[in-house]
Amino acid sequence: MRLGRDGIAGLIGLATSLFLLPFSFGLPKLPIVPIGPGFYPALVLGFMALTSLVLVLQDVVAQRRAVPVEAQEPAAAQPKRNYGLVLASFVTVGIYIALLPLLGFRIATALFVAGFQMVLERPTTLRQWAIQLAIAIGTAAVTYLVFERYLSVILPRGSWTGW
Amino acid sequence: MLDLLADGIVSILQWKYLLPLFLGTLVGVVGGSLPGVTITMTVIVILPFTYGLDPLAGLAAMTGVYVGGSTGGLITCCLLGIPGSPASIATTFDGFPMARNGEPGRAIWLGVWASVWGGLLGALCLVFLTGPLAAIALEFGPWEYFSLFVLAMAMVAGLTEASLVKGLLSTAIGLLITVVGTDPIASVPRFTFGSDFVGGGFPFLPVLIGIFAFAQIMTDIEKMQDPQGKAKAVVKAAFERFSHLKVNWEIFRQPFLLLWATIVGLIIGILPAIGGSASSVMAYDQAKKFSKTPDKFGKGHPEGIIASEASNNANVSGSLMTIMAFGIPGDAVTAVMLGAMTIHGIQSGPLFVSQNPGLAYGIYGAYILAHPLMLVICWAFMPVMIRISNVRLAVLAPVIMVLCVLGAFALNNTMQSVYVLLIFGVFGYGLVKMGFPLAPLILGLILGDQIEINLIRAIMTDNNPWLFLTRPISGGLLGAAALSVALAIWQHLRHQKRVAEEDTDF
Repeated sequence: MRLGRDGIAGLIGLATSLFLLPFSFGLPKLPIVPIGPGFYPALVLGFMALTSLVLVLQDVVAQRRAVPVEAQEPAAAQPKRNYGLVLASFVTVGIYIALLPLLGFRIATALFVAGFQMVLERPTTLRQWAIQLAIAIGTAAVTYLVFERYLSVILPRGSWTGW
Repeated sequence: MLDLLADGIVSILQWKYLLPLFLGTLVGVVGGSLPGVTITMTVIVILPFTYGLDPLAGLAAMTGVYVGGSTGGLITCCLLGIPGSPASIATTFDGFPMARNGEPGRAIWLGVWASVWGGLLGALCLVFLTGPLAAIALEFGPWEYFSLFVLAMAMVAGLTEASLVKGLLSTAIGLLITVVGTDPIASVPRFTFGSDFVGGGFPFLPVLIGIFAFAQIMTDIEKMQDPQGKAKAVVKAAFERFSHLKVNWEIFRQPFLLLWATIVGLIIGILPAIGGSASSVMAYDQAKKFSKTPDKFGKGHPEGIIASEASNNANVSGSLMTIMAFGIPGDAVTAVMLGAMTIHGIQSGPLFVSQNPGLAYGIYGAYILAHPLMLVICWAFMPVMIRISNVRLAVLAPVIMVLCVLGAFALNNTMQSVYVLLIFGVFGYGLVKMGFPLAPLILGLILGDQIEINLIRAIMTDNNPWLFLTRPISGGLLGAAALSVALAIWQHLRHQKRVAEEDTDF
């Protein structure tokens, strides 16, 4: 049995709801409330399990009806997707968030903005390098001044740098 | 009422409110004009700036973003042929051809003026109808609220472009997220598995920012190296000579078109979470149906631009009515506004206007004043905005990410919210790649707690479950929810049948 994207999503939904459902039944009942804290989650999970199951079944039917690949006409050119760049972007954001409490907002932000720009578009000339650097330092400085000085939001301090 | 409105407008004219409103409108117009940056994203970006402000100043800034963003999208529609924001999608159909025909100034200013008049007509309804709507909402008991929330979710799930089942599953995921943490009645921990990290549940705003902002930015990043995905200025930015009076005459010589587009936008705005793009397309469709010259649509017809833009700005007033009368967000932008209100300790809902008249009429004032401000901004900064709309994603994405992280962190000054942001950012992107619509999830996320509380309240008052069906308003709302789902299924089946017929018709 072949499964498409929807079928896989449905299976994940079904597995999640079936995994959590016993926990909702195990929640304590309270004498003052006619329905316990597990009633509503059980309702939501039951609904989720049902919709997930329907999605899986829909996908199975759709896959059976689908025309074999060799019989299909060549599809129109799909836009290229750069998933490598998306992964690199997530990693860069992850590193930034990990470094925030270590380096502090100002340093981590300047490094992140510079690094993320380079990940997305590598500078080739000296001018481009200078612009990217200026944007990085400018973003860190402006956000710091606006938030910490004007809006009184205390931004993360670095445990390594104390800054 | 008019006295209160005058007070509200006078309040907003003070510098401490006028400046945030002006800056919000400016950011909204710029954000709206950037292809790929939606109004939701723009309001998320300015959200952290509002934490330190007076509640009215913060809400005025957000209202400005909403109004400005609804108009800003038309700039790229007309000049690049790409909607700057989904709310302007139908403006592209005639705005771009008109600009390509050598009238970019007329195209843009027809849109701007139609936005202003549509928005101001919508303001009349906002001021005069929110109170009566809230009075209706005051008659609601927990049964009616529960049923109203169910209707809202059914409508949103049913109207999603993907599939009804995916819309419903997306709603269930949103509801499930709200269940994690302690229960609202007895504070019993649910699905926390002994972890302190999720002990208090997931904070709403970091989840919302993560899901929306990451999903959108990462989807844009995917296409970065695709030559088809890059926007090119097709139309020269230099405007031809044109008269503002003539443009206004073009709008007012068809009062029915302006009025009908406004009503369409308003109704779509009042209905929960349908959004500006639907109102713009529906008003365009209606304008074409009623037009004496429907064959001119799509070739640079002014009626198309007027309908689309008047409707998407009136849609804003409809969304504001829903949030202020029922406490339900009309769309994702008002969902963020609802979150901001919660941060400031303000409870929206039927008592909002009567308990916070200063704030409510201040929001009306901000909404009304945002329109002339937007006009001034468009007039003064148009050349700058055209240049800004060409800013590269490589510059924009890191700055937006920093503001998203700040928005999550500044919520309660802990890194926990930032970790939640990242987790839900990855999750949101995954959902988009799986083809799940995000609007039902967000609505489930917003309404989850309220649905549970009203369900329990109803059962605690009277444990007869049939009351949900036998109480007239509650039963009517549940009937409408069932009808909405049935309609979505019928439309889906009809579409499938049509596709099958087209396939067999060689």
